[in-house]
Amino acid sequence: MHLEIDRGIVGLCEKGERGAERKCDKLKPVRLLLDFLRVRWYFYLLGIAIITSANLFYAYYPKVLGSFTDTLKRGELTGSSVVDYSVQLMIIGLSYGILGGIGQFIIVYLGRSFENVARRRLFGHLTLLSEHYYSKKGVGHFLSYMMNDVTAVRESLAMGVNQTTNATILMVSAVAMMLSSDIPLYVIAVCILPLLLIPFIVVKIGPVIRQRSLDTRDALSRMTESAEEQFAGIRVTKKFAVEDVMNGRFGDTVDAIRDRQIRLIRVSSLFQALIPFLGALSLIVTLAFGGYHALHGTITLGSFVALTLYIRMMINPLQAVGNVINSMQRSRASLDRLNGLFATLPDIRESDQAVALDMGKAAIEVEGLSFSYPDTDSESLHDVSITVQPGKTLGIVGKTGSGKTTLVKLLLRIYDPPAGTIRIGGVDVRDLKLESLRSGIAYVPQDGFLFSTTIRENIAFYRRDSDLESVENAARLAQIHASIAEFPDRFETKLGERGVTLSGGQRQRTSLARGLIKQAPILVLDDSVSAVDAVTEKRIIDSIRQDRSGKTTLIIAHRISALKHADEIIVLDEGRIVQRGRHEELLKQDGVYRALHAIQEEGSRVAQGY
Amino acid sequence: MPKAIDDWQGARSDSAAQPQMRTHVKSVSAFRALYEYAGPYRLTFLGVIGCTLLAIAADLLQPYLVKIVIDDHLMAGSQDYGTMLVIAGVYLALALGGLLFTYLQNNLLQFAAQSIIAAIRKRIFRHIMSQSMSYFNRVPSGSLITHVSSDTEALSAFFSQVLLSLLRDGMTLVFIVAVMFKLDVTLTLYCLCLLPVIALIAVSFRSYIRRTYQMARTNLSRLIAFTAENLAGMGLIQAFHQEKEQQSQFLVRNRAYFKANIREVRSNVLFNRSYEILGNLAVAFVTWLGGKAVLGGGIELGVLYAFITYIRQFFQPINNITQQWNTLQSANVSASRIWGIFATEPEVKDAPEPVVPDESQVKGKLDFERITFGYAPDQPVIRDVSLQVRPGEMIGIVGTTGAGKSSLIGLMCRFYDVWSGNVRIDGTDVRDIPQQKLQRMIGLVQQEPYLFSGSIVDNVRLFDESIPREEAVAACRLVGADALIRRMKDGYDTRLTDRGSGLSAGERQLISFARIVVFKPKILILDEATANLDSHTEQLLQSALNYVSRGRTTLVIAHRLSTVMHADRILVMKAGQIVEQGKHAELLARRGYYEELYRHSQGRHTG
Repeated sequence: MHLEIDRGIVGLCEKGERGAERKCDKLKPVRLLLDFLRVRWYFYLLGIAIITSANLFYAYYPKVLGSFTDTLKRGELTGSSVVDYSVQLMIIGLSYGILGGIGQFIIVYLGRSFENVARRRLFGHLTLLSEHYYSKKGVGHFLSYMMNDVTAVRESLAMGVNQTTNATILMVSAVAMMLSSDIPLYVIAVCILPLLLIPFIVVKIGPVIRQRSLDTRDALSRMTESAEEQFAGIRVTKKFAVEDVMNGRFGDTVDAIRDRQIRLIRVSSLFQALIPFLGALSLIVTLAFGGYHALHGTITLGSFVALTLYIRMMINPLQAVGNVINSMQRSRASLDRLNGLFATLPDIRESDQAVALDMGKAAIEVEGLSFSYPDTDSESLHDVSITVQPGKTLGIVGKTGSGKTTLVKLLLRIYDPPAGTIRIGGVDVRDLKLESLRSGIAYVPQDGFLFSTTIRENIAFYRRDSDLESVENAARLAQIHASIAEFPDRFETKLGERGVTLSGGQRQRTSLARGLIKQAPILVLDDSVSAVDAVTEKRIIDSIRQDRSGKTTLIIAHRISALKHADEIIVLDEGRIVQRGRHEELLKQDGVYRALHAIQEEGSRVAQGY
Repeated sequence: MPKAIDDWQGARSDSAAQPQMRTHVKSVSAFRALYEYAGPYRLTFLGVIGCTLLAIAADLLQPYLVKIVIDDHLMAGSQDYGTMLVIAGVYLALALGGLLFTYLQNNLLQFAAQSIIAAIRKRIFRHIMSQSMSYFNRVPSGSLITHVSSDTEALSAFFSQVLLSLLRDGMTLVFIVAVMFKLDVTLTLYCLCLLPVIALIAVSFRSYIRRTYQMARTNLSRLIAFTAENLAGMGLIQAFHQEKEQQSQFLVRNRAYFKANIREVRSNVLFNRSYEILGNLAVAFVTWLGGKAVLGGGIELGVLYAFITYIRQFFQPINNITQQWNTLQSANVSASRIWGIFATEPEVKDAPEPVVPDESQVKGKLDFERITFGYAPDQPVIRDVSLQVRPGEMIGIVGTTGAGKSSLIGLMCRFYDVWSGNVRIDGTDVRDIPQQKLQRMIGLVQQEPYLFSGSIVDNVRLFDESIPREEAVAACRLVGADALIRRMKDGYDTRLTDRGSGLSAGERQLISFARIVVFKPKILILDEATANLDSHTEQLLQSALNYVSRGRTTLVIAHRLSTVMHADRILVMKAGQIVEQGKHAELLARRGYYEELYRHSQGRHTG
């Protein structure tokens, strides 16, 4: 099964890209950033041009100031030239400020717009990936792609362009001016030598700082997790009065943060102090070496002063170069991860020949179905065959892990069943259009997952513009209408962290309403009423029977009471059908079903033991 | 309002139904946090200030040395290379000093700051943990977590960024202004006229920048929350074929975040550039003023030159400090919230003169005397209920959701206090018993057992190292969990993660029974402890239950009547009152509400 999926991916790759598997991996990757640059390159050009012109303006600044000083020195200053110089300085200041601001804004804007586009594409891609990926890696993993990796690429894109442009212009002009002066090349080379260590040090220490700051982040999130856990378990803590022990546990995570922070500051403060120190070292060499040459008249005093100024000018751009290198390295890893994700092809895909099907009169046929989850050896289902005629009700019972939910997931094609094993209306589910498959089947999962939006929107999930009346009807069928009606905002009540939190039973019933409103030809209840009490369960089952008469219904449950009315009941045990028949027939047989029934009837009484 | 009734046992409360508690605490500045906690680190802070001064001095003296070389040596045409080497040596010493003191300053400050933050974090956590149960029902756990993590992080940023910048840039600024005054008083005064302009810019941008910043943050957290939820519900989205719809909802949020961000970027660029321009204009201004002064013979050329250099340096520290403004603001907001938490008193408090019962002498006799109670004013959920329970008696409590069963338990455990009447254990009012003692006297097993991340053995003894491991293991054996635990990879040391997701609901419940055995409460409450379980595990649980309830006064709450059928006495609750009580057979014979409930449940079993 797993191999088949893999082959599918490779196959499609080859077909689509006409290249080897390797090439296919490489082709998608670069696209995220390249696609963006291909469309926006001229904006980048514009931004860079504006920043460059701002810097060119700024290069005049020392020159104007110098010329002003020289005029002063020569005693040629007049009232009007003072005004002239001031106006020149003002114009330069304004132009640099405004142009630089515009340039910076353009580059940052482009970075943000990359982020925007990348997240949009990413989310679209994530909706294609099947449950398999999410259950394997966890939601947090994919969230981190969406947030951290995209942000890392954006940051280095904006910062890289801005700083590289600035640093390049500054360095080029500094070097050009030094070369055009009368200072001998070897003097320049010797004086600059310590500075050249700067990018080296940045590249060396930068990653260490980063690692330690990641460690600190880790410690922080561990503390947050600990707090989360403690607050969620507050009832246990309070009830056993072990607050002190829990305070101690939490305290350990707090101390870990402090220790890591101090470790981080040790290297980062060293780094911060080291850069100016190297600048100073360069100046010391200039003092000793350049001063020697100045004393002996090899270079002029003016050149000596200029040399010290240029050295100062080089410190910042050199540091920026180091920073850019680091940030590029980081974001390269992120970009690779992102592109890797884009290269993951969804394992459930509509085939090109997929057909649409109206499931109104379609029978469900399962034939010789065996299935094991990707990456596992053991079979979850073995040789299962079932036929459900249109309009009939099938009950599936079995204990946890017997394969009930797996069967439903295969029917819905959340996982791919082996070819030809599951047919609806005579068509292999793998050849059905996903749209007609999933709108033809209403699925009510056990966990009662609801979104943080209004109750109405949750129930009308399938068709958001459903009118209130049909929403209310569905709620009534699911026996949740009365509870909702008690909320001040009724169906407009918000759910989630910022709103009302429903109890497990209420969640299940809302989720049930969400499935019922679909009025789909096939309804699948996957242990959908396990958290409601017996009286309510009975009412729900009754109203479902009424609502679903003439329509196909699959009920999965571990409580027999929920499905004993079914036209056929199959008993699953370790992935195999061990019994099948109607409730009364099964009770007559000596088997799992009767045992289960006995336990559910008697279990509580026996054990009370008084 | 039935939905509020089972609140204290729900995973989270429906806090929106009640107005969010907004503690009206006056705003607290982050400096107060510093002031209150800096005490033990007084010397460290002095050291920080000393190092900062030395580092700044070493920094600012370096250009001065170059000036000496230029003016006194090269300009004077001196040939004394020896002195120049000495100056280079001094320079090196200064540079090394700068390196050392900057390093020390950073490390000392961070040490003090992180220790203070750690102390605050522990205090918040301890304080939150000391709150009553009603507090946790009212305040969403998300916001509690925010206090512990984000708010303290904001304070931490205050120490590592704001305080550092205030110290370093503030002192540099003072130093520069002093030098400027020394150079020329009039010119300096003219320059200081710029301060109001700077202040004006800062003030006018301040609130705007802050607003844009917060809007961007809000939009980001919305985007994250939306994405996280959609990824978690992806299976459902696909099953309902709603990918397109959710994508378009994502687009709306993504777009909103983008827009908010651009606004933030724009205001930041505008703010920083205004400063930049102001700095450059100031140089032009000084050139104009100074040039005129030189022409009039007011100041010397050298002074003007130095002045121009300093006015440019003048803006750097101011800019640095103003950049800290946002950080300072969020630190202030966070400090206010944190001190707001500190100001919250637990609603259920220990009596001033508590009666401490001898734990070994507790019999487990319960008296509820005419109690009335509700969650919201004017809406009692328990009305004038009286009840006596003998030591060791087993009581079943039945009734539909909202009848008041769980509230009764909540009052006994003092999660809440009664409006009127009293609850007594062995004749002592529960309000007179210290809460810690009371909680240990009463054991409670709920429908959803909670497991912490940690080993199984630690989960049984709740991380209390004073309870020997053997005792925890023995408890597991007694409740019949031993075989199951030994089958696991590391036996009793198997680490549970994600709230014990590797275990079935029933197995988790077994562990919570083992806790009862370890902590030996005299009174045991089972609140739907066996509901919602797989039939097989349920059987296993029943025998465990059988064991733990032995010799204890036991109260069993159940939806399913079969669970309580054999109780010594069954209480039937309806709308906050006990409407019927007696043995199963008696109640059936009475043909009342109980019989009606029983018929429903029977119908369920046999059709």
